[in-house]
Amino acid sequence: MTLESTATDPAATSAASSATTPQQPRPARYVGRPVQRVEDPRLLSGQGRYIDDVALPGMLHAAFVRSPHAHARIVGIDATEALAVEGVVAVYTGKDLDWLAPMVSAGPMREGVLAQSRSPLAVEVARHVGDPVAVVLARSPYLAEDGRDLVDVEWEPLTPVLDPFAALHPDSPLVDEALGTNNISHLEQSAGDVDTAFAEADHVTRIRFHSGRSTAAPIECRGVVAEYEDRAGGRFNVYSSTQMPHLLRMLIAPVLGVSQGQLSVKAPDVGGAFGLKCTVFPEDIVVPAVARMSGRPVKWIEDRWEDLAAGVHSKDMHCSMEIAATADGTMTAFRGHFVTDSGAYSSIPFTPLVDSQVAGVYLSSCYGVQNVAYSIDNPLTNKCQIGAVRGVGWVPGQLAREVAIDQLARSLGKDPVELRLQNMIGPEVYTTPFGQTYDGGSYAAALEKARDAVDYPAFRQRQAQARADGRYLGVGFSPFVEPTGWGTASAAAGGLPNGFFDTASVTVEPDGSVTVTTGLHSHGQGHETTLAQVTADELGVAMDSVRIVFGDTDSSVFGMGTYASRSAVLGFGSIQESAVQVRDRLVRLAAAMLEADDADIELVDGVAAVKGVPGKTVPLQQIALFGYFGGPARPEDVQRDGLTATSGYNPGETYANGCAAAVVEVDVRTGLVSIEQLAAVEDCGVVLNPIIVKGQVAGALANGIGVALLEDLAYEDNGEFVSGSLMHYLYPSTTEVPDLTLHSIETPSAVSVGGVKGVGEAGTISAPAAIVNAVMDALSPFGIVIEKTPMTPEYIRGLVRAAEAAATGPARS
Amino acid sequence: MKPPTFDYVRPASVAEAIDALAAHPDSKVLAGGQSLIPMMNMRLARPTALVDIGRLDELAGIEANGSLRVGATARQSTVLENEQVGRRWPLITAALVHVGHPATRARGTFGGSIAHGEPASELPAVMLACDARFLLRGGSGEREVAADDFFVGHYTTVLADDELLVQVEVPDPAGSAWGFGEIVRRHGDYALAGAAVRLAVDGDGTVEEARVALFGVSGRPIRATAAEEHLLGTRLGDERAAAEAGRAALSGTEVTDDSFVSATYRHDAAAAVVERALLEAALRRRGTN
Repeated sequence: MTLESTATDPAATSAASSATTPQQPRPARYVGRPVQRVEDPRLLSGQGRYIDDVALPGMLHAAFVRSPHAHARIVGIDATEALAVEGVVAVYTGKDLDWLAPMVSAGPMREGVLAQSRSPLAVEVARHVGDPVAVVLARSPYLAEDGRDLVDVEWEPLTPVLDPFAALHPDSPLVDEALGTNNISHLEQSAGDVDTAFAEADHVTRIRFHSGRSTAAPIECRGVVAEYEDRAGGRFNVYSSTQMPHLLRMLIAPVLGVSQGQLSVKAPDVGGAFGLKCTVFPEDIVVPAVARMSGRPVKWIEDRWEDLAAGVHSKDMHCSMEIAATADGTMTAFRGHFVTDSGAYSSIPFTPLVDSQVAGVYLSSCYGVQNVAYSIDNPLTNKCQIGAVRGVGWVPGQLAREVAIDQLARSLGKDPVELRLQNMIGPEVYTTPFGQTYDGGSYAAALEKARDAVDYPAFRQRQAQARADGRYLGVGFSPFVEPTGWGTASAAAGGLPNGFFDTASVTVEPDGSVTVTTGLHSHGQGHETTLAQVTADELGVAMDSVRIVFGDTDSSVFGMGTYASRSAVLGFGSIQESAVQVRDRLVRLAAAMLEADDADIELVDGVAAVKGVPGKTVPLQQIALFGYFGGPARPEDVQRDGLTATSGYNPGETYANGCAAAVVEVDVRTGLVSIEQLAAVEDCGVVLNPIIVKGQVAGALANGIGVALLEDLAYEDNGEFVSGSLMHYLYPSTTEVPDLTLHSIETPSAVSVGGVKGVGEAGTISAPAAIVNAVMDALSPFGIVIEKTPMTPEYIRGLVRAAEAAATGPARS
Repeated sequence: MKPPTFDYVRPASVAEAIDALAAHPDSKVLAGGQSLIPMMNMRLARPTALVDIGRLDELAGIEANGSLRVGATARQSTVLENEQVGRRWPLITAALVHVGHPATRARGTFGGSIAHGEPASELPAVMLACDARFLLRGGSGEREVAADDFFVGHYTTVLADDELLVQVEVPDPAGSAWGFGEIVRRHGDYALAGAAVRLAVDGDGTVEEARVALFGVSGRPIRATAAEEHLLGTRLGDERAAAEAGRAALSGTEVTDDSFVSATYRHDAAAAVVERALLEAALRRRGTN
């Protein structure tokens, strides 16, 4: 793997940057350096403590009884035989949990999205395979599963709703009768004059694309352990493998009928999440509820089948995409229709709009197209719910647009790279037709760098030679813009308007060590490293004196959690806001101790010195001790506030960008696609830590390979779910990910603290379209049009077979 | 992902193992456990007892005097790393690289992969191509069964309930050409279609005997007899003969057609792997001559 970095001149990112950047000079001793991840020794040596490591005295184990049907009425549930098993303690059904408030997916605070209520355990109707209808508690997980197998549910199968377009038909059976419709949201938005642009276009390209159904499939599945303390009006302690402890608390407490003060959420080490664990699930409610009812702590550890059948699914979107263009290749309008096959429940809190809406609203991406329109539909179907998974709807949106642009290039006989460059926005701050304001980026430069990374002209020669030998090579490009640093402004710009901010609390302890608490959560991102780098720089202390505390609502300040590539931006900003205040107190304390001017104090690596006076120093340990116990000699605010400061941060809009380029070979006999090279250029602004950025980009690219070629959650025509194990749900392993070519460009954000942008989803957004375009380029002699992911060998072979048959006329028998 | 209750028996000898199998109806032999244990965890297999032969050293040997004799519990990784096997039975070594992953091969056994009877796994088809013979021992004594007669269907072989596969014997393939190929979504997965071929050729390069075995295409590993007949008398490496053998590979076979892969695809994939394995066999032979 190669990593090469180029820093762009920040001045090149327009005059707006200097006006809006709240940056100040800051000695960057750690930020930007390839600091080794401090969490790795613990995690790699088996000292991680995950949800399954939580053990409470007297704990029972839960197993869920789940629907084997896509859609069925629950006629009756008989637990007699299960309860007869020695060691099975209790069985609860939905009716037993009628004291709970409903779970409500209210969705984003915008018009046009229906709220949906559900009970955590289905009471009358189960709506997808895996929908939980009862829970068995037993002395061991083995006995709980024995009991589960003996719970006798009498089902009356109902007609399942499986086709999202049929679901939109007025005569369709309803997934949720209470809603009166299957479509929880139809939205339309338009900017410019799209109809005129299409009417006047010299050329119109239209494609359909079905982005397949995939999910996160983290190595650690979900899990919940809960106990109920019958004191002071009742208290729940909930351990959960979640990405967002505070939001989970906020969203489950009302369902359980307690205040947020009566419920703690503790997230231990989380073994991968990728967005799946920023959803509120029925089990998050049921496990604490039955802990209260049984009077015993209860543990539930999800198994792989449950994770695949009943977690969240993602990206299952039917797209149609149109591009209007002039004869010279100027793209004048985009129009998209995005139908998310939403599953049976509107997921909490992000709803299926986290896919459909964001596919539409960011449609113009890095292109200067001014006439843009989209519409979305979100039909419920009898499948697993759609939720936020890495890359969300940006992935299908990117696929639809970038595949269509390649089609346009072929139609016009233009080079796909040149066509993109011709239509690309400049590097300066730019406002899209839908009102997103990009904070500067290297849109064209990233594409050019990706083109160079695959040695484009040489590749075209090689491709021609290979074709002469009957081998089919192809190249595809996929430049992208990734909305990051999810805060209030970016959420509003994305059409999902909610308040998003974060806080951090920074404390210098009496011995000079530093404790930071944050409501952000780390589940692989390496916050214990990056946020310590930021803190150490801001305070002027050594990084190993900084400890980052998160994951427990009892010990961390309120925060919104980690998803949507937000934590680098929010973490940096909120820590800086707090650390600046503490540093200011440290400087004044040191000045008092050293009898110097505040302005002459330098604080570096935990030692305060007086500028220009060698040897006149005081270590942080003494400053801190003085700060806590120095009596009236201390500044008044230090006497009152000590060395703690808590501040929040709500950034402006930040957008990372980059480009993926894929070189593939397609075996037309078998339909197998092998990726010869996958190159990615990433511009996430100021890089906090290149090791971690590289890891994020590489992981996301691997994820993108899965989306393009492998991952598929399949349902049979009767709604039976057939991808319930990792034998059938395939994700890439080391043997399917080629040696990656990684390049980096740094265009500092014009708006965020420190100039940072997020990086979590880039490769997942960009790689699938690059790979699809490469396959279509490889198969261009056949005139093949790819219309879906994943591109299975069977799918590709079928297209080739059809093309061959068409070329040779009716099949000879 | 937790199995139902079962008894666990660890016999000290093959004889004890056979007694234990007889004593526990619906029991299963536990060797490497790389297929059985996941199936039990998913409650797809519910044996009442496991008879663990993993520590029976008498079954773990590898001998290569004339023919190759592999004890049933020799680990796949041990066979893969065996220098004699690599030199004289390279088809076996080539196939073993595709059996799971290093971690599963370290536990998984040679005999287990055969006795499990998974129709899409590599070793059963390789045994057909190699004309292997299996030594079975049970309550009613010992018998030898040819690979051709061993596999019955999905996870089904001729092994009786109280019978144990104790040894695999593979004749010396001296002088024969061989090829191997499989179509998989990911390295180490079960094949959508795969072929193991072994060809005896005379001094002029004419095929005198052909064994073309397929896996992943039907309910059990099969010999592609029509393809074999096509090849007899042709010259090794004849491209047209290889293509015709590929096309004929699945004629007369009931090809698996499931939710994931259609029979049509398997036909195309099998034709490609057979043709390529045959050409690879010729190329390799030219390379070594």
